[in-house]
Amino acid sequence: MSILQSVKNLVRSKSIHVAYVDVGSCNGCDIEVLACLSPRYDIEQYGIYVHNNPREADILLVIGAYTPGWEEKLHTLWEKIPDPKVAIAVGNCPISGCLFNRPHTLVDPPVSKHIPIAAEVPGCPPRPTEILAAVLSVAPLVFKDYEVAKR
Amino acid sequence: MKRTVDVSVPIGPIHPCFKEPARVKCETKGEFVISAEVELGYMKKGIERIMRGRPWQEVMFLAERVCGICSVIHNMVFIEALEQMSTIAVPERAALLRVIVNELDRMQSHILANFSYCYTIEHETLAMYLLDVREHVMDELERITGARVTCAYIVPGGVRFDLRSEDVLHLRANLAVIEEEVTRYMHMFEGGPLIALRSREIGVLSRGAALEAHAVGPTARASGMPETDRRIHHPTYKKLGFSPVSRTEGDNYARIMVRFQEVLESISIIRKCLDTLPEGPIRGGGIPGAGEIAYSGEAPRGELSYFIKTDAAGRVVDISIQTPSIMNIEACCHYMLKGVSSLADVPSTFVSADPCIACTER
Repeated sequence: MSILQSVKNLVRSKSIHVAYVDVGSCNGCDIEVLACLSPRYDIEQYGIYVHNNPREADILLVIGAYTPGWEEKLHTLWEKIPDPKVAIAVGNCPISGCLFNRPHTLVDPPVSKHIPIAAEVPGCPPRPTEILAAVLSVAPLVFKDYEVAKR
Repeated sequence: MKRTVDVSVPIGPIHPCFKEPARVKCETKGEFVISAEVELGYMKKGIERIMRGRPWQEVMFLAERVCGICSVIHNMVFIEALEQMSTIAVPERAALLRVIVNELDRMQSHILANFSYCYTIEHETLAMYLLDVREHVMDELERITGARVTCAYIVPGGVRFDLRSEDVLHLRANLAVIEEEVTRYMHMFEGGPLIALRSREIGVLSRGAALEAHAVGPTARASGMPETDRRIHHPTYKKLGFSPVSRTEGDNYARIMVRFQEVLESISIIRKCLDTLPEGPIRGGGIPGAGEIAYSGEAPRGELSYFIKTDAAGRVVDISIQTPSIMNIEACCHYMLKGVSSLADVPSTFVSADPCIACTER
């Protein structure tokens, strides 16, 4: 690996844009993602910018248990995110459906059936520190050796 | 007058300002919004369908997950409905502890709503200040109940954990900090000339329109309807002698100010509870039986009603939930957004009504 590539890896891991999409949760995980913005947890000190715009995102936080309203839409959203990209499942809902995965439910978990998931944060809801740790553990890997891999 | 629609602008479902997916379709003439329509259906999980035929012990946790922001009130209304149905008595100390936790939950919900509004009008400084003070409230919730969001603190006949004497000291100290900070931020919001430009006289909901749209909660109280506060009918709140706040302007500014004032009101309610907290048991026991009841309470967003029908074993035969946000979203789209002079004010007006899509669709 060239020196230029390693510099790129380092710099790009400190410049990550995050978007979040709620595909049918109870809102508990949404507010814990918002709490990551607060001065106490301060996700922006790591160079991670939470801006809910899929077209400039690198990491997509998927929250919720995949309701029928998101059929096709979630996949379209995933395609709109420019490469390279990863998705993180936040909370129990996208992993297993949590309490909502019962008879007569409308949800269709897990989300990994519909889009590729790189990391999972279990919890109902997970603490902001856990969400932060997951984003930070994925951040250096999103762009790692991107030019080499593309070739 | 001839109705000319230049362009139909859809906002959402993914939008930088919306926490949850909802789509607002605005018909505009230039920047002027003629009419707006909301499109829901992104969050329908079918919670009521899952609840039917299950024992109350399971439904209790499902009820809490109807809405993650105001989870305590869903828990409280569901359990109090069961108690009323089966005439289960609650110890005095437990009733006051419920009020303390409920008011802490209301505080964090209101502060989050005000954060969202300040974030939407791009006043990020005030937004971050508010999110910081919210963490103090979350600390207290966690110290008392053991969890930040879904705490399942209230059970039939009492509450799960007692408030220890050192917790009372922490709570009083933290309340003093929160009160000082929230008062400071309220004055910042009140006196900010740029905030006033984005908030005053925008998204006006008159008292008549609020009555017509059946607006509830802070949205209605900002339009001069203090009687919409369901807490005045609750026996524990009655004893604490509390009076609902209200304003008469009915614009975005009034809705945010009502929430600030309610946070301060909640702090004084918690202080009154702590002053009058008697010693005694926190769980009286009791098993819910058969019955049918309609019961409602005041959620942070307005009136929340549960209709429950159970059988002798305590299984929920039929349940329907009416959440407050649906009326406020309706009021927002059909009354507040009509006549908004700029498209930039549409997200902020929508957020000022504090819509909670998760509990609207369940």
